[in-house]
Amino acid sequence: MKKVLLLASLAILPVNSLLAANYTIDPGHTYVSFAVNHLGFSTMRGKFNKQSGSLNYDPAGKKASVTIEIDAASIDTGHEKRDQHLSSPDFLNAVEHPTITFKSTKVGWSGDKLSTVTGNLTILGVSKPVTLKVSSINCGEHPFNKKQVCGFDASGSIKRSDFGVNYGLPGIGEVLDLQIELEAAKD
Amino acid sequence: MEQILDRPEFQSAVIPFVVAMLVYAGLKKLTAGAWIWALFAAFLISSSLINGTTLSPLTGTRKIILLVLGSLILAGLVPYLIRQVKLPRAAAPVLTILALLWVFGKVVARMDLIEIALFLAGGVGLVLWLTWTFGRIANDDSRLHSAGFTLLLGTGLSAAAAASALLGQLALSLAAASGGMLLAWVLQGKAVGSGRVSGSISTLPYVLSAALIGLAAIIFARLPWYALIPLAAIPLATSLVPVKPDARFLSALVNSLPGLIIALAVSYWVWQAGSSNSSGY
Repeated sequence: MKKVLLLASLAILPVNSLLAANYTIDPGHTYVSFAVNHLGFSTMRGKFNKQSGSLNYDPAGKKASVTIEIDAASIDTGHEKRDQHLSSPDFLNAVEHPTITFKSTKVGWSGDKLSTVTGNLTILGVSKPVTLKVSSINCGEHPFNKKQVCGFDASGSIKRSDFGVNYGLPGIGEVLDLQIELEAAKD
Repeated sequence: MEQILDRPEFQSAVIPFVVAMLVYAGLKKLTAGAWIWALFAAFLISSSLINGTTLSPLTGTRKIILLVLGSLILAGLVPYLIRQVKLPRAAAPVLTILALLWVFGKVVARMDLIEIALFLAGGVGLVLWLTWTFGRIANDDSRLHSAGFTLLLGTGLSAAAAASALLGQLALSLAAASGGMLLAWVLQGKAVGSGRVSGSISTLPYVLSAALIGLAAIIFARLPWYALIPLAAIPLATSLVPVKPDARFLSALVNSLPGLIIALAVSYWVWQAGSSNSSGY
């Protein structure tokens, strides 16, 4: 029985070891989106159209880190006038603070799968810790370009007043639900 | 009550208008600078309701709030602190230009040389122009407050139409407070009293608030830069009103008329230009 387990471990370890690498975020397959309550009536959704960053993933060594930089002015709620307002000093102040960043500081594992990513989210120059729950993470060879690719889905929530984004409170919701779907290709 | 205080029309119109009138009525016998303290009280309350009391993070908009309050304190205190000394004429524009650099420094640092040159030329030119044109009417209470009221009204409405309600509300709260001053002048039958002090310090609050909020609406929001040209002409237009009626109501009306026409026309144009995709989101 011990021999079987040993052989099985040897078979898995190289695969996990192969995954350990730096990955660069594929902006075409990365979505950073949010949902916020609108005046108590409904949920308003939006996303950011420009982001970049990197992922370091080493499941064998139980190490991972992620950095995402988001262009604040690329906010897109499907309504040009509202997007201009959200970019203005009333909300994201995109001219003065053009980049929203997330840099992980700690990760949690469930078996050999990444389960949580805790990091500092910086909006308007204010950094606050945020924990994202990873609902799925998969790595493997891309069927078309044959590159090694990792992708994960994660979600969490923040209070916008923690970052000094106070305009429109309490009518426009205080809590933003964040959703990140990310793909990254091995460097 | 809380719901009322959350409403923009109360935050930036009703409350500053009433507060400015009441504070002026209470202080008018005590100090010639009553109008300055009336504006200070009105803006302190309005900006606290609009922005909240937090100054963190210290964004450009929050710097503007601090600077407007600081300019009002300076204009209110200078007559008492420096009774015998006449401040140089350049004091107010130099202070305003330093304020511009503090508010916009972070953005200017990312500009290329041509953009920096354009910003400096436009910003400094605007400050010098407003200082000069407000200086022409500084000794005429009716014209001074009519120009201040209509310039800030136009700046506020245009800023709000250019996608920053926050900047718009700040300017509109100052406009409402100035309107309250004008009404006090009309009703009380006594000069509001500009609390004239050394050099151009007495008009500093109007010059600084109009320049900072106007430029912020261009740089941080989407106000077309050329919208500031007709708005900046308001103090000059007010100074050129040929008649000087004896009746205070007529005087305030006549002196406000050119500025009102310009302010409303520019605001309507900015709103029209930016409303092609608006559906009342």
